[in-house]
Amino acid sequence: MPISDIPIFSMLRTRMQWHQERQQLLSENVANANTPKFVPRDLAQPDFSHAQPVAAMSLARTSSSHLGGIAADATQFDLDRRGQFEVRPTGNGVSLEDEMLKVAANQMDYQAATALYARGLALIKTALGKGG
Amino acid sequence: MDFLKSMAVAASGLRAQAGRMRVISENIANADSTAQAAGSDPFRRKIATFRTQLDRELDANVVALGPVRTDPSEFVLKHEPGHPAADANGNVKYPNINPLIEMTDLREAQRSYEANINVIGATRRMIQRTLDILKA
Repeated sequence: MPISDIPIFSMLRTRMQWHQERQQLLSENVANANTPKFVPRDLAQPDFSHAQPVAAMSLARTSSSHLGGIAADATQFDLDRRGQFEVRPTGNGVSLEDEMLKVAANQMDYQAATALYARGLALIKTALGKGG
Repeated sequence: MDFLKSMAVAASGLRAQAGRMRVISENIANADSTAQAAGSDPFRRKIATFRTQLDRELDANVVALGPVRTDPSEFVLKHEPGHPAADANGNVKYPNINPLIEMTDLREAQRSYEANINVIGATRRMIQRTLDILKA
């Protein structure tokens, strides 16, 4: 059983992927802070209410000679559809302050997720014993 | 890795803002560049444009410097009969550059540049955290 199948790890992984994708959108927003008609984008919070961890999908093997690779995760997160705070006369809706706050929050939440992940690993190590 | 994509996008922002700074500094440097011959036009103010473009390799919206446009507004006329570029009435055309506007523009470019640097720093720290899981 891969470690990512344990619910807490799979949820943390989803969370970290979400932060990763969000970071990309935020950096797009900041890079395009002066581009006319650019509308900033953001991700909506991931939904964990369906506590069932999403099982990793893999390709069906129709022949015994097929390699059972781990399918790439195609998690597509929803975009945040809320309206923006302000749009400048050029049609650009990026507020640098807003984006900087989001980048900082994204970074801190990501650190929280990685710290939890590390704690989870430490927990498993404790359960395994110190290799005595 | 997605984080490297974020960094590449922010780097495209740095490049675009640096190009904009180059155009602005050109304007400031040429604020008093009059024409060589009498009656011809002096240096015309340049404006950097930005456009969003999809980088297919990164699969992300990066920013690029568009064509550098010229400002079509009127030149500033000054009465200097002794000037080599003066026309029949003794007027000399000076570039349509207002240093105050250029400085404000420069400040905005600087601020956007710093914002991109911040994004790169934040992304770098996130990568560092990912690597820290290995040490746990």
